[in-house]
Amino acid sequence: MSRTARNASTGIGIAVVLALGLTACGSSGGDDVAADKKQTLTVWAMGAEGEKLADVAKVYEKANPNITVKVTPVGWDVAHQKLVSAAAAGTMPDVAQMGGSYMGEFSELGVLEPVDTKTFQKKDFFPAGWKQGEVDGQAYGVPWYVDTRVLYYRTDLAEKAGITKAPTNWKEMQDLATAYQKKAGTKWGLSIQPSGLDTVQNFYSFLYSAGGEIVNDKGEAVIDSPEAVKALKEYGSYFDKGLSNKSIPPGYDVVKDFGNGRVPMFFGGPWHVTLLNEGQPQLKGKWAVAAVPADKSSTSMAGGSSLVISKDSEHKAAATKFIQYLTDTKGQADWYKRTKDLPANTAAWTSGALADDADLQIFKKQMDTAKSSPSLPNLSEITDKVDQAIAKVTQGKASAEDALKTAQSEIEGLVK
Amino acid sequence: MSTTTGKAAEPAKVQAGPGTTSPAAGPKGSRRRRKPSMGVQNMAGWLFSTPFLVLFLVFMAVPIIATLVMSFTDFGLRNVTHPLDANFIGFENYTKLFSDEKFLKSLFNTAYFVVVGVPLTILLGLVVAVLLNNGIDRARTFFRVGFYAPVVTTIVAVAVVWRFVLDPSDGLVAGLFSEVGLTAPDFLGSETLAMPSMIAMAVWRNVGTVMVLFIAGLQAIPTEVREAARLDGANVWQEFKGITVPLLRPTLLYATVITTIGYLNVFEEPFVMTQGGPSDSTLTVSLNMYREGFNFFHMGYASAMAYVLFVVIMGITVLQLRLLKDNTK
Repeated sequence: MSRTARNASTGIGIAVVLALGLTACGSSGGDDVAADKKQTLTVWAMGAEGEKLADVAKVYEKANPNITVKVTPVGWDVAHQKLVSAAAAGTMPDVAQMGGSYMGEFSELGVLEPVDTKTFQKKDFFPAGWKQGEVDGQAYGVPWYVDTRVLYYRTDLAEKAGITKAPTNWKEMQDLATAYQKKAGTKWGLSIQPSGLDTVQNFYSFLYSAGGEIVNDKGEAVIDSPEAVKALKEYGSYFDKGLSNKSIPPGYDVVKDFGNGRVPMFFGGPWHVTLLNEGQPQLKGKWAVAAVPADKSSTSMAGGSSLVISKDSEHKAAATKFIQYLTDTKGQADWYKRTKDLPANTAAWTSGALADDADLQIFKKQMDTAKSSPSLPNLSEITDKVDQAIAKVTQGKASAEDALKTAQSEIEGLVK
Repeated sequence: MSTTTGKAAEPAKVQAGPGTTSPAAGPKGSRRRRKPSMGVQNMAGWLFSTPFLVLFLVFMAVPIIATLVMSFTDFGLRNVTHPLDANFIGFENYTKLFSDEKFLKSLFNTAYFVVVGVPLTILLGLVVAVLLNNGIDRARTFFRVGFYAPVVTTIVAVAVVWRFVLDPSDGLVAGLFSEVGLTAPDFLGSETLAMPSMIAMAVWRNVGTVMVLFIAGLQAIPTEVREAARLDGANVWQEFKGITVPLLRPTLLYATVITTIGYLNVFEEPFVMTQGGPSDSTLTVSLNMYREGFNFFHMGYASAMAYVLFVVIMGITVLQLRLLKDNTK
């Protein structure tokens, strides 16, 4: 019954490292190796990106024979713990992929090298993509790829329900959800997450479109603002009216239910295009994507990953060159071809499939105005409070006002 | 940090290791005469246990002590790279725990899990073991494997299957309900049903372990005793009550203790099935600790939680040993 063995080893690993005081930092930046010297770059990338990046590294090595790029793919499920352990032990790789939500935390740990803003310029990237790599106005990560959520909906079922155009605002979206259920006989109207970890990701489309935020630019908690209350009321109304499922198990596969018509609408990322094309080929031509339905504006959340350089790295010059290669126009277009990850560099969108595909342009448009979460060291704790507020409302336990008031007071204690 | 406790609960067992190698040689009178070789034997014992001792020290003793120290500090995210900057705050973490609604709720949930889950697991394990030991002759191996299979199946696979079984819209149970014209409740999505559903799954998963222990115990009961009882005219129930149960008591004690310790540490079931939800109704102490430690990096706080759980486990274990042992005399 020793069930927690694997987590135990990580926990104990960290504890041991701390206890034995093995936290001696690697040598500091002083003895940096020049970019044209023979050297090996260590790079960590997560999930599918880790595997695809190894191919790109091979191409890069051919053009730069003095550099050997050693890519280590790290699973998303263990990425966070591995990075923290590495930070604690002073064994961070030269270059690492980092999700926007990690940024605040790792800059707090003091293990990230500030971005060389002469080489990488803010204006070349989506604003939200760039902001994700920033902490307190200082850039630590170069945007590598971005993602944002848009509305996926079944056009064939919408037609059956008597609606032929995409919903553009909150009212139209709810009307469509109702029509799907009443006239097209779908089980649900819209799939949004009712509770649990990262529910807030579904809520962002509502919150940002209403003009609300969790923490504002000044670092103050503002989750009980009238805009936020309005957004949560709207979000909750889908559950009140039985348009959305109040209970979704962890690991729920929305693509399957979209395919069988049980769920005709959901907010999805760019990867859902591939999942739908490959997993539900029978749906071809029966679905479309639309911008997030607007309230004050149509504003979605921005996600994605940045590339960071470790403060202790001795290969910063070479690392910078490698990141430059990955994030310039050509490298980004090539990366899109390999992974279907959306380029963070806006210039990459001007040619090829990225410029011609109408669906992709919706992502581009949404990305132009998308907002990224604030880079705070305890972001996961803060969003957890919002998750709890959302759960209270969707489960009918509290009003939006009360739930957000509680969240506000809790988050105030966390942002100092 | 969930786990440091999981392990912390066991040192009693483990520490017996080094002990048995040296003094245990003493009591055996016959060995005592060979005084000169004693030291060598001792040396050899220590030598052979060195790999274990080193591993134990590095991976168990040091973290256990580090956790204890950490539980008196405000060790947080920043201290991962600057551990010495953490401040000693005395018992603050501990006092905070008992006004932390979430922790109290997780403590309650864990107690619920143990109080309902342990007796069910032990009882079913015993029943299955007795049935398999006496009843079925031909398919015995098949059933033993059948009941033991869940024990060795990875929890993720188990979670996938159980989610299907309990899925309110097209799961197996929902199908059975609709056969008789009823609508299945949403087991994992309901605050009142999530915990019982999870207990059902845990019992299903752990009955095999207990069953194996009981089968071993049952087979250790000498047949003569049974035969004597039968000759005296005892019926099946009398034989079970008068012979099987008393002779099985050591096994029962062991099974109860390890099942309780395991259940007090329950982590994987809520982690993969419900993430502690809905509304924290399946949040256990271990899961809460894991979140505080690894999601929010409140390492000091999580360590304090680990030690509270450790004390609870130790208290309950001691109590169980007392209660169940005294009865045998």
